Amino acid sequence: MTHRARQLTVSSLARVEGEGALLITVHDGQVQRAALQIYEPPRFFEAFLRGRQHTEPADITARICGICPVAYQMSACQAIEDACGVRIDGPLADLRRLLYSGEWISSHALHIYLLHAPDFLGYPDAISLAQDHRDIVERGLALKKAGNAIMELLGGRAIHPINVRLGGFYRTPSRAELAPLAERLRRALDAAVTTVRWVNSFEFPDLELDHDLLAVRQEHRYAIDRGNLHATSGLAFDVADFGAHVVEEQVPHSTALHARLDGHRYLAGPLARYTLNSGQLSATARQVAAEAGLGSECRNPFRSIVVRAVEVVYALDEALRLIAEYEPPERPFLDVPPRAGIGHGVTEAPRGLLYHRYELDADGLIRSAIIIPPTSQNQGAIEDDLRRLVAANLDLDDQRLTALCEQAIRNYDPCISCSTHFLQLTVQRR
Amino acid sequence: MSAPWAAVIGVGNEFRHDDGIGPALVAAVQHRTLPGVRVVSTDGEPTGLLDAWADVTLAVVIDAVVCEPATPGRIHRTAVDELPPAAGTAGTHGFGISDAVELGRVLDRMPRRLIVYAVEAANVSLGLGLSSPVAAALPALVDAVLRELGHR
Repeated sequence: MTHRARQLTVSSLARVEGEGALLITVHDGQVQRAALQIYEPPRFFEAFLRGRQHTEPADITARICGICPVAYQMSACQAIEDACGVRIDGPLADLRRLLYSGEWISSHALHIYLLHAPDFLGYPDAISLAQDHRDIVERGLALKKAGNAIMELLGGRAIHPINVRLGGFYRTPSRAELAPLAERLRRALDAAVTTVRWVNSFEFPDLELDHDLLAVRQEHRYAIDRGNLHATSGLAFDVADFGAHVVEEQVPHSTALHARLDGHRYLAGPLARYTLNSGQLSATARQVAAEAGLGSECRNPFRSIVVRAVEVVYALDEALRLIAEYEPPERPFLDVPPRAGIGHGVTEAPRGLLYHRYELDADGLIRSAIIIPPTSQNQGAIEDDLRRLVAANLDLDDQRLTALCEQAIRNYDPCISCSTHFLQLTVQRR
Repeated sequence: MSAPWAAVIGVGNEFRHDDGIGPALVAAVQHRTLPGVRVVSTDGEPTGLLDAWADVTLAVVIDAVVCEPATPGRIHRTAVDELPPAAGTAGTHGFGISDAVELGRVLDRMPRRLIVYAVEAANVSLGLGLSSPVAAALPALVDAVLRELGHR
């Protein structure tokens, strides 16, 4: 075999959020190109936020994603409140974290059960999985519904919540309203612990990533709704310095920008959060993580499904704690009078950190907006994984190699709709 | 209040012009007194649809369809056993009513009767408001849905 070229193409990726494709070219046993092509049309949210009132991004940016609208609302509110010099603490901050926990539970349950698990169990999709394992899929749907129940109660509805506003909420719940929710979450917690054990019984292909990992770190708590940035390289910076460290660049094969951290590739998301913050998990979450054999860090992206399952346990635990300690605020929101300035917000969306920056004029009109979603940050790392995975598995036939690549992409639960959208794969041998 | 026996489910996104026909139908009927009828708006994500029609005997789903060539505003009524199987699904964004039906059948979570009203769209690009032919079809659509429920 002196001169052999292979090309793997998936022209429309399945079980991802949005539309994209994968193209891999192998020449003489060397991977020449591994491109995650994002061809979904760009969506120009940053442009049409310009000239809007500072009260509007919470609703407008929620529309970027049907899976993680709360992440957009929370990063947007935080950034604009920062620009206006207002900080939300106490019960309002707790309610935001509770709402966000609901989104983590719902989004992670959807990904674990309906999008990712079929890969490990050899099923083409969740419907085939359900044919053989109805009880398992029902468990996943019940978990997702528990997350939705939080979003419906606090957000007014599960998709694109309408009860969130700058400064807090339009209406806050009473303790009595939260009580039945707690009952339901306690049942879901059992299902979540079972989920960790279930996904941990899967077989995980070998792959250790050596990228720098970047996540939000929150004082005293596993990072969800606020904090500063920390990387495994030791780098730490305030959210206000995000733009000085993370730079987006355009690549020809994608409508999503690629981001770099101080010039190098990095990864955000569950593996980064876990590796940087696992010590802050709740006792139950730490215990199930230990049972699953997760150490203080996890760098095998195929095991991200286990980390997500642990995070579901944590989010349920955290939701129960927040409900137990809840005292209704005096008012459902704080006033956020506009002023000229720049504000930054960063939170941990289910698939990784989400940064917003807004510049306001004195009347509160938005002069510029920057949104850096997790999938665009992770695109470079995903391509690197693919390159290394293909190089290590050239003995597989095209079909199996392509399947492995698709599975590797789903490790990151990429949200192409957010980054703009997802994926199609082509494998060609010549 | 007794448990609902029927569900009216509007699927779509009101920020995509005619894709908002489902939510528009919901807005038009939800203030009527319809005892035992659950009225829901959803983006069509399958697990959301399964929840929307959980435990009812009749579900009426309203959605927009893009046809070529199109007669915008034309209303199609389909009973679920006539729905074609899902065409190669891609992301969760590509999931639709057919996937929900397949998943519902496997999980034994289907209403006894599922009626789908599909309205041909003229424009599903980003933006508010129905096109005039689709908006003009709304009163007939409301009548048809109420007839399914035995309220007209």
